[in-house]
Amino acid sequence: MTVKKINGNVPQGDIKNIWEDHKFKSKLVNPSNKRKYNVIVVGTGLAGASAAATLAELGYHIKSFCIQDSPRRAHSIAAQGGINAAKNYPNDGDSIWRLFYDTVKGGDYRSREANVYRLASVANNIIDQAAAQGVPFARDYGGYLANRSFGGAQVSRTFYARGQTGQQLLLGAYSSLMKEVSKGKIELFTRREMIDLVLVNGKTRGIIVRNIITGEIERYAADAVLLCTGGYGNTYYLSTNAMASNASAAFRAYKKGAYFANPCFTQIHPTCIPVHGENQSKLTLMSESLRNDGRVWVPEAKGDKRPPNEIPDEERDYYLERIYPSFGNLVPRDVASRNAKNQIDAGKGVGVTGVAVYLDFRDAIKRDGVDTIKAKYGNLFDMYERITDENPYQVPMKIYPAVHYTMGGLWVDYNLMSNVPGLFVLGEANFSDHGANRLGASALMQGLADGYFVIPYTLGNYLATDKTHLDSVTTDQKEFEEAESIATEKIQTLLNINGSRTVDDFHKELGHIMWEHVGMSRNESGLKTAIEEIKKLRAEFWKDVKVTGMNENINLELEKANRVADFLELGELMARDALERKESAGGHFREESQTEENEAKRDDDNFCHVAAWEFNGVDTDPIRNIEELSFTNVALTQRSYK
Amino acid sequence: MRNNTVSMNLNLKIWRQKDGKDKGFIEDYRLDGVSPDMSFLEMLDMLNETLIREGKDPVAFDHDCREGICGMCSLMINGQSHGPEAETTTCQLHMRKFKNGDTIVIEPFRAKAFPVLKDLIVDRSAFDEIIAAGGYVSVNTGNAQDANTLPISKINAELSMDAAACIGCGACVASCKNASAMLFVSAKVSQLSLLPQGQIEAEARVQSMVNKMDELGFGNCTNEAECEASCPKGIDISNIARMNREYLTASVKSQE
Amino acid sequence: MVSHFKKVLTSSIVKKQLMGVTGLLLCGFLLSHMLGNCLMYLGPEAFNTYAYTLTSNKLIYVAEAGLLAIFFTHLGLAIRLTIENNIARPVKYYMKQNSGRGSNFASSTMPYTGLIVLIFIVLHLINFKYGPYYTQAYNNVEMRDLYRVMIEHFASPLNVLWYIFAVLSLGIHVSHGFWSAFQSIGFNHPKYNCILKCTSKAFAIFITLGFSAMPIYCFLQGGH
Repeated sequence: MTVKKINGNVPQGDIKNIWEDHKFKSKLVNPSNKRKYNVIVVGTGLAGASAAATLAELGYHIKSFCIQDSPRRAHSIAAQGGINAAKNYPNDGDSIWRLFYDTVKGGDYRSREANVYRLASVANNIIDQAAAQGVPFARDYGGYLANRSFGGAQVSRTFYARGQTGQQLLLGAYSSLMKEVSKGKIELFTRREMIDLVLVNGKTRGIIVRNIITGEIERYAADAVLLCTGGYGNTYYLSTNAMASNASAAFRAYKKGAYFANPCFTQIHPTCIPVHGENQSKLTLMSESLRNDGRVWVPEAKGDKRPPNEIPDEERDYYLERIYPSFGNLVPRDVASRNAKNQIDAGKGVGVTGVAVYLDFRDAIKRDGVDTIKAKYGNLFDMYERITDENPYQVPMKIYPAVHYTMGGLWVDYNLMSNVPGLFVLGEANFSDHGANRLGASALMQGLADGYFVIPYTLGNYLATDKTHLDSVTTDQKEFEEAESIATEKIQTLLNINGSRTVDDFHKELGHIMWEHVGMSRNESGLKTAIEEIKKLRAEFWKDVKVTGMNENINLELEKANRVADFLELGELMARDALERKESAGGHFREESQTEENEAKRDDDNFCHVAAWEFNGVDTDPIRNIEELSFTNVALTQRSYK
Repeated sequence: MRNNTVSMNLNLKIWRQKDGKDKGFIEDYRLDGVSPDMSFLEMLDMLNETLIREGKDPVAFDHDCREGICGMCSLMINGQSHGPEAETTTCQLHMRKFKNGDTIVIEPFRAKAFPVLKDLIVDRSAFDEIIAAGGYVSVNTGNAQDANTLPISKINAELSMDAAACIGCGACVASCKNASAMLFVSAKVSQLSLLPQGQIEAEARVQSMVNKMDELGFGNCTNEAECEASCPKGIDISNIARMNREYLTASVKSQE
Repeated sequence: MVSHFKKVLTSSIVKKQLMGVTGLLLCGFLLSHMLGNCLMYLGPEAFNTYAYTLTSNKLIYVAEAGLLAIFFTHLGLAIRLTIENNIARPVKYYMKQNSGRGSNFASSTMPYTGLIVLIFIVLHLINFKYGPYYTQAYNNVEMRDLYRVMIEHFASPLNVLWYIFAVLSLGIHVSHGFWSAFQSIGFNHPKYNCILKCTSKAFAIFITLGFSAMPIYCFLQGGH
C-alpha cells in the first residue's frame, strides 16, 4: 500500500464565508423524509448528547448509546473551568477572528484553519442555546452573563457555572436529549458498549454492542453512525479521564478502515494532584485558574526535605517566573508541564514521592487576604484538602502534571466525516480543531459546536447525497453476522486465557511505558523502546491475562480486558506517530527538536501536515497518510512566552 | 503532617448478589495493608485484585469519574449513603476516615425504584424517566436569542446553580427512610423554575415530574432532611418546599 | 376533571400537604382545648360551667364532626403513607444509621409518637367523655361534674404518669409536625426558617407543659 495524500474537503473561498456558503450548497433532506433515516449516536457527552438531541429535533430517528447507567454521566461532566465564546460582552477587544487566531496559534499550527474558524464563529450560538436551556451561568449584579479570563488568554471570553461548567452544559444537552426521548424521537440504550463498526458495501451501516448487564451481543443498523466517544487519555492508565473512558469505539473504527490522525498529540495538564501510591486509580485535576494566584516553586537544593514553610525565599526557585519573566506562572499548559518534569528530573521534586512541585498561595493570601482567596478558590482548596489531607491555606499545594486530553483522534474532513462514508466523528474523538495543543475552555466549545451546529448540516448533506438508505440493510446480513462472531470469539478468547495477571496489572504496565517514553518529553530511542515494550506486553496479555467470571452477566473485568486490548494497540500507534513526527509541536515535545532556550521547535517544512494512520493488520506497520495543512489566514510563527 | 507509613487492616461485610433475580447475602472479607491515602473505591479495587488472583468473582460496583461529579458511584457505607462524611461522594471518601481494625458494612442503595443488578450495582434509570417527564426547557437548537437578552438576578442565578449542582447519584433516595426522590426532583424543578426561561413550562413540568416520581414507586417525603444531610452536593430541602408550593398552585391553577 | 382531582389528591405531595394542614388544625384544637381546660384552676364551678356551655350548644355536633373528619383524615393518611413508604423499600438495609445532620428524634419517631397519641385519645375519650356521669347543679342548672371525674381519675399516680407520657409523646410529635406542615405546604424561607422552627418547638413545649400541669394539679388536689 502507498502513502496517500488526503484531502480535508474544505470548500474554497474566503474563510469568513465558506461555512455559510457550504451550508447553502449542502443538500437538504425533505422534512417528511427525515423520519425515514436512522442515525446511531455513540456516546452521550457534550458532542453526543447535543448531536442526538439536535438531529432528533430535526426529525431523524436516533438511537443513542452510552456506557454508563445514564447519559448524564459522560465524562464531559468533569470539565471545571468554562467555555469560550467571542461574545465580547466585556468590551475588551474580543472577536470571532481573535478567538480563531488564538485557537490556531494555541494549537501550534497543526489544526485545520477552516474548521477552527467555523468553531469560533458558532461559539456564540452555544452560549445562547445553553442559556435558553436553563444552564445557570454565572451572572453579574445586573443579571448579565459574567466572563473570566482563562488559561492565559488576554481577553475575558470564558463563560462559566462555578467550577462545574462541564456538568451544567452536559446536563443542558442531556435535558434536550431526554426531551426527545420522551417524544419517542430518540431510543436510548444505556449500559451498552460499542465493540464493532459494521460496513456494508464500503459504507457505515451499523454497530455491534455488548449489553453490559446481560452480556448479550446486539446488532443495530442505521444510515449513518456518529462516534462521540471522547479521547484516549486512559492509554496512560493514570489520567484525569473517567474509569470507563476508553478508545475502543474509535479504535475499532480505525481497524475497519477509518484513519487515526495525530495520535501522539496528547495534552498533559500541569495542575493535578500528585500520585500517592501504587494503588492509585486516577488523577484529579484542579482548575488551572489556580495559577492566576499561586506561585510554582521547588527548593534550590536537590533533595531538600525540609517542610516547605521552613525553606526561606532565597532558597526557593520560582522557576516559571525565572525562565518566563513576562508570562510567569501563566505559561501555556505544555510549557508549565514540561518545566515541572525538568525540575523533577533534576532531583528537585518535593513530597514523599519526590514527584511533585509546590503551588504556593502564601503571597496571594498575604496580598489579598484569606477571604478573597477563599472566595476565588474555596471549592478547589476543599477538594485538595479532602484528597490529600493537607490544608493549602497553610501549606503549599503539591501538584504534578497528568494526562488530561487528547487532541488527536479519528481523522475527519470539513464535514466531520471520516474517510469511511457514513461514519462521522464529533468532539474529542476527532482531531480537527485543536491541532497539537488545546487551549483552556475550548473542549466544551468544540464538543457542543460539533453537535449543535455542524453535524445537523453536514449529516443532512450526506444523507441527501447518498442513496444507500434505499438499499435496506437489516441486521441479519452477513456483515453483521461476521462482526458479531468476531466479537464473540474475542470475548471467549479473553475468558479462556485464564492466565496469572489481572487486567489492571497490564494496564498499569502499559501506563508506565507510555508515561515514561510517550509522555511530556519524547526522543527517538525512548519511542523505539516503547514500541518494542508494548509489543511484548501485548503478546503477554493475550497469553497471560486473567479474566474471571462469564460473559452472560455484569462482568467489569471482561469490559476492562476488552478496552485494554485496544489500548495495547493504540499505545503502539501513539508511539509510532510520535516517532515519525520528528518535530516538536504543542503537546508533542521531541527532545531532538528544541530551540536553544529548550522550547518546542516546529518543523514547518517537513511536518506542517496531519498524519492520518491507516490500519494494516495488528502486527504489520500501519500506513502514515498525509493531509497537508496550509495557513493562509494566520501566519506561521514560533510561539514564545518569554 | 499526617503519618504515611501506617497501613490498616479491615473487616468488610459486603452485599453479594449474582443478578437481579438472586436473593443476595452479606459476605465477610478481610483486607490487610490498606493505605489511609487510598480512596474508598481504591480500597475496593485492592480487594478485587486479591479476589481475581484467587480466581473469585470480584465485587461489582458502579464508579466512573472518581472525582465526585459524575454521580455514578453509590454505596451504603456503614448504613450511610456515600459514607459518613458530609458533602462527599464515595469516590472522594478516603480511608483515613476509618481506623485500623474497623468493620465496614457495604451495601447497595436500596429502593423499590432502584433494583439491584449485581452486588452493589443498582439500576437508577428511574431518574432518567423523571427527567424525561419534564426536566427540560423545550427549546430546540437554533431557537435561542442572545443570552444577554434575558437578565437573571444574581441571587436567582445562584439559587438555580445551587439546585443544578445535583449529580443524580440517588443518595437522597438511599438515605431517606421512605426511599423518597423528592430532593432529586425538586432540585431540577427549582433550577428551572428560578429562571425566566424555565417559567414558561413550570406548571406542566412540576406536575408531570411529580406524577412520574409517584408512578415509579418512590416513597413519600416526611421532612426529615436525611436527604439533604447525605447529599454530596449539599442540596437544600428548601427546594422541596418550593416544589411543594409549585405543585399545589399548579394543580389548582393550570388549565391543562 | 374528576381524574385530575383524584390524581392531585393521591399525589405524594398533596397527601403530605393534607397531612400537614390537618395536623395544624389539630394543633389549633390542642391549643383551645388546653386553654379551655385551664379553667379548672378556677375551681369546679368555672370548669363544669365551661364544659356545659360547650356541650349544650347544638353546634357542638358540627364541631365534633369536623374535628373527627380532620382527625381521621390525619390518621388515615398517616396509615396510608406509612404503608406506601414501607413498600418503597421492599428489601431493608442490613445496617442503616442516620447521619446526625438531618433527622432528629422527633422526626424519626413520628409514626410511633402518633400511635401513642392515638391510643391515648381512645383511652382519654373512654375515661372522660364516656366516663362516670356525676351531676352537679350550679344556679339551679344541673350539669355533668367533669371536675370530679378528673380529680378521681388523676388520684392514681399511674394515670398521671401515663397522661404525662402521652402528652410528652404528643409534644414530640408536634415539635416536628408543626414545622413540617409548613415545609409541606411550601413555606421555607431563609429569613423565617429559624423563627418557624423555634415556634414549632416553643409550641410543643407549651402544649406539653400546659397539659402535664393539669394531672399534677389534680393529683395534688386529690388528697383533699
